[in-house]
Amino acid sequence: MASGAVVLGVDVGSTSWKGVAVDSAGRIVARRVEATDPRIEAQTERLVAELRAISGAGHDAPLGATGYGRKRVPAATRILTEITCHARGAYHLTGRPGVLIDFGGQDTKVIRIGDGGEVSDFRMNDKCAAGTGRFLEVILARLGVGLDQAPELVARAAGEVAISSTCTVFAESEVISLVAQGEPLPAIVLGLHRALSGRVATLAGRLVDDAELFMSGGVALNRAMADALAAAVGRPITVLPEPQLVGALGAAVSVLDAG
Amino acid sequence: MNRLQVIHAHRSRGHKVLAVLPIHYPKEILTAFDILAVELWGPPGPPRGPDAGRIQSSVCAIVRNALAFISAGGVDAVDGLLFPHTCDSIQGLATVVRDFGSWSGPVFQFIHARGEDRPSARRFVEAELKSLAAELATFTGRSLDGERLRDAIRIHRNIDRLRATLLDQRSRLAMTDPELYRLLRQGEFLWPADHLAELEAAAAGLAPAPVQQGLPLLVSGIVPEPMSVLDALAGAGAWIAADDYAAVGRRVTRHHPTSLDDPFATLVDLYFAAPPCPTRQSNQTARADRLEQLLDASGALGALLHTVKFCEPELFDLPVLRRRLLERGVPVLQLETELERELSGQAVTRIEAFVEMLGAIAARGAR
Amino acid sequence: MISRRLRYELAGRAVGPLLAALRRRRGTSRLAARDDGPFGPPLESTRRLKELMGIYYYQGRFADGAVPVAWVTSGFPVEILRAHGFYCVYPENHAALCAARRLGPQLSEVAEAAGYSRDLCAYARMDIGSVLSGDTPVGRIPKPDLVAACSNICQTVVYWFRAVADHLGVPFVLVDTPFVYGDFQPHGLAFVAEQLEELAQTAARIARRPAREVDIERVVELAWRASQEWGACLEEGRHRPSPWTAFDHFIHMAPIVALRGTQGCLDYYRELHAELSERVRGGIGGVVPERHRLLWDNIAIWYRLRDLSRLFADDGFAFVCATYSSAWAQSWDGFDPAHRVHSTAAMLSGVLLNRDLANRLALMKGLVRDFSVDGVVLHSDRSCKPYSVGQYDLKDALQRELGVRVVVLEADHADSRAYSAEQIETRAHAFMESF
Repeated sequence: MASGAVVLGVDVGSTSWKGVAVDSAGRIVARRVEATDPRIEAQTERLVAELRAISGAGHDAPLGATGYGRKRVPAATRILTEITCHARGAYHLTGRPGVLIDFGGQDTKVIRIGDGGEVSDFRMNDKCAAGTGRFLEVILARLGVGLDQAPELVARAAGEVAISSTCTVFAESEVISLVAQGEPLPAIVLGLHRALSGRVATLAGRLVDDAELFMSGGVALNRAMADALAAAVGRPITVLPEPQLVGALGAAVSVLDAG
Repeated sequence: MNRLQVIHAHRSRGHKVLAVLPIHYPKEILTAFDILAVELWGPPGPPRGPDAGRIQSSVCAIVRNALAFISAGGVDAVDGLLFPHTCDSIQGLATVVRDFGSWSGPVFQFIHARGEDRPSARRFVEAELKSLAAELATFTGRSLDGERLRDAIRIHRNIDRLRATLLDQRSRLAMTDPELYRLLRQGEFLWPADHLAELEAAAAGLAPAPVQQGLPLLVSGIVPEPMSVLDALAGAGAWIAADDYAAVGRRVTRHHPTSLDDPFATLVDLYFAAPPCPTRQSNQTARADRLEQLLDASGALGALLHTVKFCEPELFDLPVLRRRLLERGVPVLQLETELERELSGQAVTRIEAFVEMLGAIAARGAR
Repeated sequence: MISRRLRYELAGRAVGPLLAALRRRRGTSRLAARDDGPFGPPLESTRRLKELMGIYYYQGRFADGAVPVAWVTSGFPVEILRAHGFYCVYPENHAALCAARRLGPQLSEVAEAAGYSRDLCAYARMDIGSVLSGDTPVGRIPKPDLVAACSNICQTVVYWFRAVADHLGVPFVLVDTPFVYGDFQPHGLAFVAEQLEELAQTAARIARRPAREVDIERVVELAWRASQEWGACLEEGRHRPSPWTAFDHFIHMAPIVALRGTQGCLDYYRELHAELSERVRGGIGGVVPERHRLLWDNIAIWYRLRDLSRLFADDGFAFVCATYSSAWAQSWDGFDPAHRVHSTAAMLSGVLLNRDLANRLALMKGLVRDFSVDGVVLHSDRSCKPYSVGQYDLKDALQRELGVRVVVLEADHADSRAYSAEQIETRAHAFMESF
């Protein structure tokens, strides 16, 4: 059993539920990640209980909540948006200002983090699937390719097939035509990564400027996506450790900040 | 009273009612004929009825919803429709309604003069006002009374004076934004004298000193729909200190003529003295200048640019407005809505994140 | 200044034509290789078209500082500017070219990065993207001394051109043509007429000398005659088979848009007309065999002209007329040079998109009747509101009142990202199969 846990942080996303228990220095001592259940309150109650149990955090250890379902966490002592929490989490991990690209399942956020770890600007793509992880997920599923297979496929690509459609639905049809025409799968998968990263780069636009770049979110676990994004913005990007936990970590650290 | 009740009450007095499409129209002339204007903003939610898909989904929701509503009989309680020539989409809506049988009653239009304020434009506007007046004379079966027109001008000047007071002195009003905007938007369908009375009552409640806590914001956009945007702002701890909504602040003309000898000349002066709006004849510099004035007067810490998806006049101005705001160091949040009934969770998150961000900036500034 | 002017004139009268002649001699001016396929022989006049437009764009590279330069909308009363010696650039024409050369998405992204919504008119995004990035496929576009719009094609150009003028720091002039619901309003026409006088004064100020009335009249005469000649070219489509298709119209309309009022423009359409008449006499059709005759509504899909043309022609479907091309001739009907200003005001106000849908429906019904049309294709253009709002009603009316088959194809005039080849092909094939 881990010890020293004093605060919990949960990020109740629409795709996945993330939670962490941290010690007084903000180090993660326990974690939980699960696909989000529509019965959010029940899932939250169960997972928070598990986190408390395995981390040894007390019953009254404060809890910071963020994410889509943040207002449905009755035990939360502090509720903040995922923008603020991701910025806080990233700054906690890096100690430096910069721009964080949080690549989620259903939305993508670009957050400019100032010298003190505060949010100085942000942009979100939350209306259209085409700029989010969902784009890749849907089309790869259609191709019978798992997300975990993507990096290996992309590495094998001899060339790239450009995907021109900006709409996920159109792109799906386009990809099916390409497969029917005999285009090699690795090239198509690379093309999908390029298309998605191009859109995110456009979303980021001038917010990126000459700042140091970081990446978080479940999609960041896909190495091919991180590489494609770095290529699209023309600069190296650091994938934060345990990228999908950055929001939950930020929620927990924000509670620590409040004392 | 709701819209239908107001319409029935007005008609029972033997007067006529016109449903008016957004945005700017010569309300004084309607009032002078005892015509009640009921504005058609929506209704909110996806377009309903058999004609919901009659206009492409790449056209703004204000227009799509209006056509679906009109076709489904939603305005059957009124005597006629008035279409200001606001933009290409409203232009199209007007001709679809006129030419393809969605409405069999009288249809009127009011054409704006685009481009700079110049003698030729003023002559056109005067002629267009008179042309509309002549059509309404036929419609009501009575001639336009000069004194009634002067009275109408006076009453709408008083309404604007009060609106200006409430908006400019917003910090001294204890009302929440949802409450204030509900009050202001009653003007979209109340008989002017009744609206005036409500505004006077609200103005009487002005406190001697500022009472609004929370973060002051500037909001610019077409219309505060869905109204839950205001709830989200209030919930996040912000309030609207400066209003540049086309449906609200941009309608408040602060010009007060000294003479009403020639009421039509006065109406032309009022037309060109109105706050800049791309659905009339503004240029981007004038709009950006006005936003700066609003910022200076209100002390707003951030700006919310609330656009309606597909709204071309507004979207073309955005880059210039953003640039000016950023030059002033004012953080900007752009929110695009489609007349949905409720804001999406993502939109609420954006608003909350923006207010959190401003709050942190303000706290650092205070330290 | 004098030497720049000389260089400009040489470019237009000597160097440009020389380069064009050299290209022709070297055979690099090859007509688009249209394989045997379903098309008739390519139009010979296309060679001259390319030369004419090539010289126009070439001369533009030398226009800054040599002559006053204006960026204008397609419906603008350009004759007044031309009479004052202006070189006129057409951002719409340039944007169509960019779209055809597949530069649309990248230019639009530049505009989008600057904050312009992707939902705005694609021409505007491409133009603003070109202005901001300096990218253009035509070598160089001269910077304007004046940006001028006429609202007769839409209100969007007002916002667009105003933004461009603001960005470039040059004056913006607007000729506002009040929209016509039903009949023309006298005060609306009077407003336009007054603005034409204002325009002449502005042009004179920028050109630093007023144009003589006789010069204006001459340019107007040339514009009027060219529009009539263009109209005559379109009328040849009434014959069976039609000697050319609407996709040809879209290519060959460049001069009537961008060179209207010049002698070269009038000469060109005379040449084209002669060629079309000859083809009619010889029974040479644009599509071989011509099984069915179609009407195209809305702007061309610039980045897919060849594909779409082929898609329909393969099954013997020929577009024999289009509202987009007719618009450039039809508004000049009834023009009276004896009352130039008032007649110009009426001509400007009477442009297809400045009038109500009842007028458009009447025009379309006339085209269906006069050109023996069997089917109508409505291009529902995602980013062109004035042309697209009301198309479903037009569809219903045409089907009900004329019994023609109608299909709606959803795309965009210049943004290829809004085009789904699978969807378009499915709809087009289903439409053709229904005949």
